[in-house]
Amino acid sequence: MSNPDTRPSSSSFEIRSSRIQSGDTVLLRQPNGDIKSVKIQKDSTVSVGRIGYFHCNELIGQPYGFSYDMEQKKLRVLPPKTLDDVEDTDATNELINDGEFVQPLTIAEITALKQSGVHASDIIKKQIEQHANYSLKTEYSKEKYKKRKEAKYSKSFTTIEPTLFNVCEYWFNKDQNRIRDIRPDTLSQMLNLANINPGGKYIVVDDASGLVVSAVLERMGGHGRLITICDTDSPPAYPVMINMNFKPDIVAPLVSLNWATSQEDYAPVGPPSEVPPEEIRSDRQKQRLRKRKLVNDALEKTREELFTGEFDSLIVASQYDPDGILQQLVPYLTGSASIVVQSPHLQVVSDLQNKLRNTPGYLGPNVTESWLRRYQVLPGRTHPTMNTSGSGSYILHAIRV
Amino acid sequence: MWSTNPLIAPGDTVILWLTREAIQPLLIEPGKEFNSKFGSYRHSELVGVPYGSKVPSRTGKGFIHVLRPTPELWTLALPHRTQILYLADISFVTAYLGITSGSVVVEAGTGSGSFSHSTLRTIGPTGHLFSYEFHQNRLNKAKTEFAEHGFDTSRVTLELRNVCKDGFGDNVLKLLNRGGEEEEEGARGARGADAVFLDLPAPWDAVESAKRVLRKDKQTRICCFSPCIEQVLRTVTALNDAGFSDITTYETLLRPHDISSVPSLPTIAEARSKIVDIEVRKEEKRVLQVMSGHRGNPGKQAKDQDGKSRDAGVGEKRKREAKDKGDSDEKGEEGKGDEQIGEVEDSNSDVGGGKRIKVEREDRAAGDVRMEVDIEPDSVARPEGLTSTSGSSAEQKILTRVMPEVRGHTSYLTFACLLPQVVETPSMRAKRQKGEKVEMNEEETQEGNFNGEVREKMSTEDESNQEENKSGGDKDGMAS
Ligand SMILES: C[S@@+](CC[C@H](N)C(=O)[O-])C[C@H]1O[C@@H](n2cnc3c(N)ncnc32)[C@H](O)[C@@H]1O
Repeated sequence: MSNPDTRPSSSSFEIRSSRIQSGDTVLLRQPNGDIKSVKIQKDSTVSVGRIGYFHCNELIGQPYGFSYDMEQKKLRVLPPKTLDDVEDTDATNELINDGEFVQPLTIAEITALKQSGVHASDIIKKQIEQHANYSLKTEYSKEKYKKRKEAKYSKSFTTIEPTLFNVCEYWFNKDQNRIRDIRPDTLSQMLNLANINPGGKYIVVDDASGLVVSAVLERMGGHGRLITICDTDSPPAYPVMINMNFKPDIVAPLVSLNWATSQEDYAPVGPPSEVPPEEIRSDRQKQRLRKRKLVNDALEKTREELFTGEFDSLIVASQYDPDGILQQLVPYLTGSASIVVQSPHLQVVSDLQNKLRNTPGYLGPNVTESWLRRYQVLPGRTHPTMNTSGSGSYILHAIRV
Repeated sequence: MWSTNPLIAPGDTVILWLTREAIQPLLIEPGKEFNSKFGSYRHSELVGVPYGSKVPSRTGKGFIHVLRPTPELWTLALPHRTQILYLADISFVTAYLGITSGSVVVEAGTGSGSFSHSTLRTIGPTGHLFSYEFHQNRLNKAKTEFAEHGFDTSRVTLELRNVCKDGFGDNVLKLLNRGGEEEEEGARGARGADAVFLDLPAPWDAVESAKRVLRKDKQTRICCFSPCIEQVLRTVTALNDAGFSDITTYETLLRPHDISSVPSLPTIAEARSKIVDIEVRKEEKRVLQVMSGHRGNPGKQAKDQDGKSRDAGVGEKRKREAKDKGDSDEKGEEGKGDEQIGEVEDSNSDVGGGKRIKVEREDRAAGDVRMEVDIEPDSVARPEGLTSTSGSSAEQKILTRVMPEVRGHTSYLTFACLLPQVVETPSMRAKRQKGEKVEMNEEETQEGNFNGEVREKMSTEDESNQEENKSGGDKDGMAS
């Protein structure tokens, strides 16, 4: 934990506007379930895949979560889907699609079953099953059937609130490699294990397109300090962060170093920012020097901050050997700080665990994998959903002592 | 929230890490003493010690780690008064509900406060937690804990209430939520919670009242935590009836992996040599017996052989035990030293065993070479691993498996969303102003807070209308 004086007072920052603003990037769910990310700009038009276009001004000022009907670039708010609609569209596809009623067992079939040695109770069960389908089918009036067909071909979409969970899930389904297989459940565990809270001081190594950086920033709520160490000479663009629609205050705690500038013995390569006055020839040169000095000073300040240490936790989601990363960064952690290392590969974290448990300074290094299952809950038809992801990657957690 | 100072002070709650399985809280009260099989410690001796220190026992026997509490450690250490939530569920619920810095969260029941501690950490000083509990004693305990742990009491409201019978009361709606566009424009703030979490036996009875305390200017979320699928079904029906949408159920678990290292897996060549070795010895014995003319005592011969093979079995078993012991990490800090000694002893005996086999099979050159290779690293690689030189991993094989005893089920997490009051799009407004009726499915708009009246009045630009609409919406919520 950090000093009390860096903790927020009563001043509070909103993470993002609760209404869609011009300049926001918004996730839209299409009727077929696909999600599209669109940039909303005042007075412009946006396309939603194949289903059509709408005028951005229609969406500006709207809260997240509504479904809209699209007609001539205009948007009309639709009522929320109830469970009946869900049943309509998902649960009974196979019955409606073949357009035929499932017939109860015929006398001939029953006789055949009997002759094949099937027990009477099983036959009755089978009859009921068939019958259940039958009655289920008749529940769907022509009206409802028509409505369902309409929904299928409708030009509608739903806006998705860019919570951490939703953004992570979107990226996980879109391209899980780019976020190093971090599933929302895994991400949430990383944040909790690292004890991220407003006002803390954290170090993050994020080769996961900025997912971890975005997550930590959100939980910091604009208070504290976040230093990221990257592998590029200038701070990288974090594509995930674009989806978060953070207000500027929320990003303020973030500063970046790289694997060269974060070395204590790093000597800047490049032109000096300070030149003897007699060598300054033009105002432009003077300006350039001043700018260079500002950049260098900021860098020096960040380095100083890192080397001063006393950071509350370290999160690593990196392609690089974690052993080397820990050797360099763990000395900057305070006593009792949390260390979280994530990897898509069990081997990487188990090798690390095997090493850390025999290294002084690391308490209780352990490796976990998150397991997640989603269920369809409908009367009489409750079961786990078919498409469950295989793995949401692995986490090593240890405490610095 | 807890101490943020680098050093332990009187009155601090600290976490004592004895072993991974024995983690417990301690309130530092100089004058008192902490005694356990890991030694005895005067509280006064812990004062001034940096958090994260390894403290040796006064008696010189054993040591403990003294840690700064985090909600995750607290969950492992807290005194159980009820069933509690653990990391996997807590973090998942937090993320799904969108709980973050500044969130206003409603929780029932408080129980042992495991979820509450994590939530208070995450929402920070600008958020607010309303926690309800109908058991007076549990409520008092939670109150004491929050005070002892230094939580700012102005951001947590603990209330004695049967939320299934009496709802959540008025406190939530009295609080001004820091979020919401309105705040930026002046004094008006959003009222109500961002998220509701229900960990009660009958959450369906609290769903309607939960809806009332959720803010209506943005999408909000609810989670009901129930161990049985029948409860889930009832909850889903209640949520649907109350007008919640996007209802979905998850289950999440943590699978801890057990990691061990071996120099290499035993080879079938090793097994083969062992078998051949026994055969050779048997044959040698037989020949010896034949030569010395010992006939007519088959009983003794059989017993002898039996004895030998039993011996070999015991040796194997001991070896395996030693391996298991060495591999399972974190057997209590105190035990660790012993373990290492144990290992060395065992590897010594391994070497002995190896030598014996080698000597006995001097004449079997081919098998010999393999046995030397197979056995020697066993005794050498382990100490090397302990010094953790980075090169040694090449010879080591790291084995992982899911821990055999792992929690198989906690609860089902049923989530749902509540949509805000409708805000007209410019084209909807234009249509209305032209006097056209905006078509909506009346039958469905009666449900939930998606109500027809709101749409008639609301507009994006004319914010002043919103106040009226909000009260209209609230009234609606209360009436249902
Ligand atoms: C399983 S515990 C909650 C554990 C808590 N989530 C934790 O992590 O420590 C359930 C609690 O709900 C309380 N409870 C049950 N029904 C209630 C009701 N109708 N109103 C308020 N509290 C209730 C019980 O007294 C019990 O303490």
